[in-house]
Amino acid sequence: MESFRNIWRHKLRSTLTISGIVIGVWALTTLGAFAENFNALLDGGVKYFGSSIQIGPPDGQSAPILPISKIDEIKQVQGVAAAFPGYTFPAKPGQLSFSIGVADTIVASDPAEAAWGAIRLSYAQGHAIGTASQGEVVLGTTIAKEFKKQAGDSIDLPVKPPDAKSDFVNHSFKVVGVLNQTRTAPDNFAYINLADGQMLLKDSLPASLQSSIDVTKITLGIAAYAKRGTSLAELDQTADRINAQVAGVKAIKPSILVGAFKQFGTFFTGITTVAAVIALVVGLLSVINTMFMAVAERVREIGLKKAVGATTANIMGEFLVESTFIGLLGGLIGYGLGVLVVVVRNIFFPAADGSTLFLITPTLTAIAIGFAAVVGAVAGVLPAWRAARLDPVIALRNE
Amino acid sequence: MPGVQLVGLTKHYRRGSEIIKALDGVTLDIDKGEFVAVVGRSGSGKTTLLDLLGLLLKPTAGRLIIDDVETTRLSDRERAHMRAHKVGFVFQEYNLLSGLNVLENVMLPLRYVKNGSAGKQHAIELIDRVGLSDRIKHRPAELSGGQMQRVAIARSMVNGPSLILLDEPTGAVDTETAQQLVELLKRLNREDRVTIVVVTHDTDIAAQAKRQIRLKDGNVLSDERIEQPALA
Repeated sequence: MESFRNIWRHKLRSTLTISGIVIGVWALTTLGAFAENFNALLDGGVKYFGSSIQIGPPDGQSAPILPISKIDEIKQVQGVAAAFPGYTFPAKPGQLSFSIGVADTIVASDPAEAAWGAIRLSYAQGHAIGTASQGEVVLGTTIAKEFKKQAGDSIDLPVKPPDAKSDFVNHSFKVVGVLNQTRTAPDNFAYINLADGQMLLKDSLPASLQSSIDVTKITLGIAAYAKRGTSLAELDQTADRINAQVAGVKAIKPSILVGAFKQFGTFFTGITTVAAVIALVVGLLSVINTMFMAVAERVREIGLKKAVGATTANIMGEFLVESTFIGLLGGLIGYGLGVLVVVVRNIFFPAADGSTLFLITPTLTAIAIGFAAVVGAVAGVLPAWRAARLDPVIALRNE
Repeated sequence: MPGVQLVGLTKHYRRGSEIIKALDGVTLDIDKGEFVAVVGRSGSGKTTLLDLLGLLLKPTAGRLIIDDVETTRLSDRERAHMRAHKVGFVFQEYNLLSGLNVLENVMLPLRYVKNGSAGKQHAIELIDRVGLSDRIKHRPAELSGGQMQRVAIARSMVNGPSLILLDEPTGAVDTETAQQLVELLKRLNREDRVTIVVVTHDTDIAAQAKRQIRLKDGNVLSDERIEQPALA
């Protein structure tokens, strides 16, 4: 209560000091929310690529295709429990747009593969596509929002660009399901079955090759899975065995992909953290300055408190509580402003592609407010120490 | 029975190469419940003596015993504990906290003792005894000098100390108010049997104490007991 009074006694000075913390925590909250959103996306990548082995054409082969027969060879390799073909296509070909995260993508896969993937998909609407049924699509939450589709609607895929030529081909798919939000790649995916994927692959080939290539015999990539609970190191060893035993393919060690995701995540988090910390350091210096001024103004008060029995620890504690209170107050206001920015952006200025840019998490909340309180406390240490060490005799007679 | 014993109490300061003998081997006893006035010219050692008695200063040599506790060997924390429980201070400039009201100012020392909040009722009673019940929620800026000093006196007594030290308590008030304050101190001394040591330049005030100690150059020049029929 007395801390609040002391802060309230110098309204302008306190407001300016708290503003320093507010700006820092506001920056920490918004940049942190941006990083949290991005890290959630990267975490999905780490999960997916940490539980499967991605197999593509060998180095030097320019066409990104593999014979589908390689799947049977890969399944023979020790450690491989399952392998599936996969086809991916841009959902919005020929459209240039700035997007942070995964671009809208059509993914053709075997429905059975869902049982092996590390990312569990659940349905907000409808159901999964049938193994044999064609012309069906399940949309991720972002892509469904972007095209305002729900179960029962139809969507033309790939989406025809505004400047498409007359020979552009796409197909109408019935939306049979919409996924719950995963905050990672599947939010931007449109899942179709393998036969439809092969149809789109055929569409993508030059007209002169379409009749000569049997698309049911090729795939754009293969994902191999080990039994559940297999470690990353064991998956790496399995990838090595695939490379050694199966000709004409290149299995990428999962640890390389996982490492790349983590490295990028660390780099991104580092940049946002440094920016926010710089802002907070400014706030910290501001609090230190204010607290030194408070000590200078209250020398007699400190002397009196010592005279009536306050110990060094009592005086230190009182000033630390005050500086921590300043930090906490700045933290709460800054966090509130940060959340406001996120909410306003998400509700009033949503991204054209339906994606979210910020993610407020309990961890971020705790870090933003907790960090502000810690900054306040740290800023108070030196002034509080100076106050506590004042000689009461000199302090009491201070003019 | 002495409540306070000074045995060769000495406080020297060094100023450059010069040694200032602020107090130079003072030996005396102050009985429990005494009302003592310490007088002397500026620089005679009065304030140093008060600071030593209040455990705000550490002596250069000698012993200071308060309520049978030898205080010179106490740690800073133990000295703070003694100040909180055994000693009350009243200063010339009142030293009230401007942000706190009368009750909060009186309760200030309770913060630094265990179960201090239980002393609120005692604080209210003290405010009543010093005649400020109708000012209990007032801030210091709303009080006169005499009223502020009454608040300071109530604050000095809130922890039930055995020794109250007053440094020129009437120095900032007019003569009439000064006399009212002295009457209040005499009453508290009589009713609570609390030992009072008051440092003053005011001979009228000093004359109303039971004992007058005159200091000169850090030494006791005279130590007289005064007959006070009104206090007997």
